[in-house]
Order: sequence, then structure tokens, then C-alpha cells
Amino acid sequence: MISFRLDGRSVVPPYLQIVQQVRQALRMGVLEVGDKLPTVREVVAATAINPNTVLKAYRDLEREGLVEPRAGHGTFVLRRPAGPPPGTHSRLARSLGRWVRGAREAGLDDESIESLLRVTLQAAAAEEIA
Amino acid sequence: MTWLTWRQHRHQAYIAAAALAAFAVLLLVTGLQMASQYRSALAACTASHTCGTLPSTLTLGSPVLFILVTLTLAVPCLLGVFWGGPLVASELETGTGQFAWMQSVTRKRWLTVKSGWVLLGATVWGGAVSALVTWWSSPENALRHQNFDVGKFDIQGIVPMGYALFAVALGMAAGTVLRRTLPALAVTLGVFAALRLVIATWLRPHYMSAITTVFSVVRPATPAGSYWLLTSGAVGPGGQRYSSGLLTINNVPIIPRACRTTFSQGVRGMLSCVRDHGFRGYLTYQPASRYWAFQGIETGVFVFLAAALIAVTAFVLLRRDV
Amino acid sequence: MTADQGATRPVIQTRGLSKRYRKVTALREATITVPEGRISALIGPNGAGKTTLLRLLAGLAWPSGGDVAVLGSTPRQDPAFLAGIGFLAQEIPLYRRLSAEDHIGAGARLNPRWDAASVRQRLKSLDIPPDQAVGTLSGGQRAQVALALTLAKRPRLLLLDEPVAALDPLARRHFLATLADAVAAGGLTVLLSSHLVADLERICDHLILLAASRVQLCGDIDTVLAEHQVLVGPRKDTTALERTHTLVQAVRTARQITLLIRLNGPVTDPAWETADVGLEELVLGYLGQGAPPALTHLTTVGED
Repeated sequence: MISFRLDGRSVVPPYLQIVQQVRQALRMGVLEVGDKLPTVREVVAATAINPNTVLKAYRDLEREGLVEPRAGHGTFVLRRPAGPPPGTHSRLARSLGRWVRGAREAGLDDESIESLLRVTLQAAAAEEIA
Repeated sequence: MTWLTWRQHRHQAYIAAAALAAFAVLLLVTGLQMASQYRSALAACTASHTCGTLPSTLTLGSPVLFILVTLTLAVPCLLGVFWGGPLVASELETGTGQFAWMQSVTRKRWLTVKSGWVLLGATVWGGAVSALVTWWSSPENALRHQNFDVGKFDIQGIVPMGYALFAVALGMAAGTVLRRTLPALAVTLGVFAALRLVIATWLRPHYMSAITTVFSVVRPATPAGSYWLLTSGAVGPGGQRYSSGLLTINNVPIIPRACRTTFSQGVRGMLSCVRDHGFRGYLTYQPASRYWAFQGIETGVFVFLAAALIAVTAFVLLRRDV
Repeated sequence: MTADQGATRPVIQTRGLSKRYRKVTALREATITVPEGRISALIGPNGAGKTTLLRLLAGLAWPSGGDVAVLGSTPRQDPAFLAGIGFLAQEIPLYRRLSAEDHIGAGARLNPRWDAASVRQRLKSLDIPPDQAVGTLSGGQRAQVALALTLAKRPRLLLLDEPVAALDPLARRHFLATLADAVAAGGLTVLLSSHLVADLERICDHLILLAASRVQLCGDIDTVLAEHQVLVGPRKDTTALERTHTLVQAVRTARQITLLIRLNGPVTDPAWETADVGLEELVLGYLGQGAPPALTHLTTVGED
């Protein structure tokens, strides 16, 4: 069962945080097709956020085709978001972890790693457009 | 709502019941003593045909006891101050009204039930005290017939119930208008005392037209039976009334000049002279037969005032911000 | 009072609502709408009229002018109307000599709907003795009792005046979760006033901002935030900008100027660096205008 963590300070609005966390959980395999999402009341009781926020998030997910509500039973996962199977994620996470360890040993701090990552992503995006 | 009223006031009720019980015990014990004391004195004087002097020779009970009983004059005022004053004022002052009046009970119903019980309780309690005092006073009343006098009239019979009802209504109204308990207590005390004094002194004598008898100074004729003396004095030859007696008004003697020398001959001589000059005596009074009528009228006055104050309370509470 | 066609009637609707006390005007021309199912934040500095507004909505005070409709009717002394509203005053009005159980008993006998079990369960989970005189409990415990009693009434509208001011952070979170859960269960609308913008941001989806006894903002938080923008740029003349948009607050340094504006169309001047506004920044911006300079802490628990 997924539990949501909301960052009050983030610029990302709460409902979007929930959407992102559901998508991430699906990618990582924490949530699988057919699983039941926590009810609005369960989320609200755990996080003290507005119920409409949860409803909005679930509606967005429904619109994307990731979940479907079943009257009287709850909201269920329909399919995974487009992307590689869960195994890929964990594999890539492991190799990234190794790279980060190497970078740290080389003397990079977290801030440098983050800006390096950002620059690389931008360069990759530019490459795709080109 | 009755339940809440009870929960809020039950400690007060327990204390009142305990105080009443203690008072009752005291009065019952001493009252029975005084009653038997009176009965035996009566039997003795009847045998020796000296009952005429009994009022001046027999003392029933102790002075301390009489003072204590007289202090029950304060009972209605205390009820008004402690039970009436805080009734609405405390809810406004402490803000607890915002709890009570936001439950699904209207302020009208809240006031009706709460004040109804408190007014009833005060009237019953005041009535119990006055019933005890009336019973306890019966030998004294039979002996000296002073129960129509101011001071005794106010603590016996049914008027104390009227006073209690009025005092609590006054306290309640003061508290609702002033919105704070302490000022309400002060106002209740002041207004109650002033009103009682004014009514007892200036209104009560006139509930029914007083009776006046005029008689010879030489042979004063007191009315048959007991009575409440209002004024007495002399009537001059021209019909003028002198309530200070024959002696002086503003230090000017009113005895005719001719009679001034008769002082030396004794009172009887002086009185004969005064009578010859056209002076007579008079008494203005209310006969004892009117006692219960007066009790009823005065109770009615205070019940009417209480009703007016209850209306004021309701009007202010229902229409003002709380 | 007309409702939008097809939409459910708003739970609260006022028009030009005013309240005057002898010389002081506590609330001026307040026109607000709170739709059903919202958790609305009533924000404003002390003395801005928050308590006055809540009392007017509850029927504890009479308006000096304007109209007010709550749950479809003017607030009035009627058991059915009173049953639909829960009100909790800032000073935690409880009878100090009565116990929590006494209050539960009173509520059970004075309300058509009453969930006594919920209060007892809540008190048990918080270790608050139910048979002890409420006056002997701590401020936080009293607040918990009062909140539980207000919720037990199962009203359709809750009016809460600084309900969490006396609670520690964990208790605050618990209470807000309970509140959100009650709203999620359906049929409940909440209007709560508070100084803690962080809490409000989390749980509220509607906002009423009062300053200087006037309503400055009223609407869904998402909409209100979308209507505002922060502009940062080199110090220059802003009259052109002010002609189109509404200037809420301007902070000028020697070289730079930061503006908070209410949008009336898009900002086209490329010299401005635009940014979205967060709730706290927005509130501070509105309260900054004309407010006394001493007004600072809105996110920390202030001393009342």
C-alpha cells in the first residue's frame, strides 16, 4: 500500500505531488496493476490535506488512463505509465548509485552533482531536438 | 435543558437545602420551646386573672434568636444577588453562553427553562423560610400582636415569596443588561433595598384607606382588637392635626397658654384643661383584620414587578449581541 | 441572494455586511461566498474583523448593515438552523466547574444529532480524564475537548475561531486530519480562522482575507493564486503597469523593484521577471499594505 509524503515547501502543488508519487510507485513496482489506491479518507487522515486535493489528483490519474474508479469499491490501478519495466528502474538506480559514489570519491559535492546532472539533461534534450 | 440547569446549579441547591435544614432544626426546637412557654404562662395568668399584664411581663425566647429571625429579611436579597445576578451575566461574561446558545436550543427556551427553575427554587426556598418563621412567631404574635408592623410583616406570611421572586428577577435583569456579574450584584442589592424601603414606608400604609378615630384626650379609646399604628397625635379645636403630640412643633408649644400652668397639677389636670380648650386625640391605623389582604396586595405588587423584569430580560437577551 | 444556475447553493453568502460598535467599525461592506464542501481559511491580522464575521455568521451578533445568508437563511434563533451550525469561539467556552462528561450529556440532550461516542473515544486516545472539572485541565486539553464537542454535533457548517492556537504541533496535525476526514465523509463545510499560514495552505482550498476590516480577497485558493504574480525588475516607472493591473504591494530598493500584482490580462513587458505567488507571500503582500510595521510573524505561533 502506498503512503504519500507531501512537501509543504515544494513549489509543486500538493495534488501534483500525489500524481507524481503514484506514477513513481507504478514505475518502481511498489504499485502494480489491479492494486487499490488508498481511499480519499485514508490519505486525508494520514496527511491532513484537503480531500479535494486528493480527488483532483485521482481525477488527473484517471484522465491519464492510469487508474479507474469502481463505484462503491474504490480506485484501482489500470496500467503502468509508459516506460521501461520495474526491473529497469532498479537496475539503473543501482548503476547510478555506483556512479554517484565514484563522483563523491572524486571530490564532487551534492550541488555540483546536481548541476552536472541538469546540464547533461539539457544537453541530451538539445541532442534529441537536433 | 432541565438537566443542564440541574448540573450547573446542583451544588448551590445542596448548600441551600443544608442551610434550610439547619435553620428548620433551630426554629423547630426553639419554636416548640416558646410555644410551650407561652401556653404555661397563659394557663398561669388565666388562673390568677393577670393576663392583661402578660405582654409586658413575659419574654419568649432570647434576643439573639429574635435578631437571627429578623435577619431573614435579607434572604430574598441574597437569593437575588447569588442566584439571579449570575444567571445570565456569567454566561455573557465568561463566554460560556457561546457554548450554550450554539447548541440546538434557542435562547428563548434556554431562558425559559433555566430562569423558570431558578425562580421557582428561590420562591419555594424563600417560602419555606417564611413558613418556618411564621409558625415560630405564632406565640409571639398571639402575645403582642405586632406582626403587622414593619419588620415583622416582611418576614412572615406570603410576602417573602414575592420578594424572593422579585429579587431573582431583578438580579437576572441587571445581569442581562449590564453583562457583568459584579456590577449586577451591586445594582441588585441597591435597587432591591431601596425599593423595599420605599414600598414598606410609603406605599404599604395606603393599600387600603387607613381608619382614623378621634377621641377624648382624657379617656383615650383604642380600637378593639389589634392594629398597625400609622400615626397618632392631637387634633386641635380647628381640626388641625398634630402628629407630634401636644407638646411642640418646631419648638413652638401648641398647648394653649392657659393650660401651661397646669403642668404642676399633674398630667390629668393638664389634659382636662387641654380638653376644655377643644383638643382631642386621634389614631390612624390599619386593623389587624386587613393583615392578609395587605399580604396579598404587597405580594401582588412584587410579582407584577418581577414579571416586568422577566420581560425586560427576555427582550434584551433575545435582541442583543451575545 | 441568487445562486449560480445549476450549482448548489453556497453555504455562506453575504452582501455588504457591516458591523459597527458605538465608535468602531469592526467589519465594513463584506461580500463573500463560500461554496459547499470547502475548507475555507479566514486570514487577517488581529482586529481585522475575523471574530466579528464568524459571530455574525453564527447568529451571535446582529449586523449593522448588509445581508447575510447561512445554509440558505438569515442566521436566526431556530433549533433546525442552530443544529446545522457548529461554532467554536477563541476563548474555548466551556463551563469550568463541569466535567467533559457533563458537556457531552448537555450536548446529547440539546441537539438532534449527537455523536457522544466520538468525543469519548477522542478523549480516551488523548488521555484526557472525562470526569474531571474542565477548569482543571490544561489549555491544550480544554481546546481538544471543545473541538471534539463541536464536531460531535455533526453540523453542516463549522465556524472555528483560531481552533488550533492552543495546540502543540502534533495535536494540531491530528485535529486538522480529523477535520479533513469529516469533510471527506461529506456534507460538511468549514470556515476556520488562523494565523498559521502553513497549516491553512495544507488543508484549505478556499480563502477569505481580511485587512483593515475589509474583505481583500475571497475565492478558491488555486484561482486566487493564479490571479496574482510577482514581478521583479530594475527600478523603473510602474504607472503603465498599474494602469492595467492592480498593484498589491511594491518593494523598492535602490536598483530593484519587486511587485506583487493582481493580474488583469497577461504581462507582456519582457523586462519583468515573473514568478508564481505562494499563499504566504500573497497574504503578506496584502497585509503589508497599510498594516502597522510591527506586524511580522504569520507563520509562527504568535502570542495572543
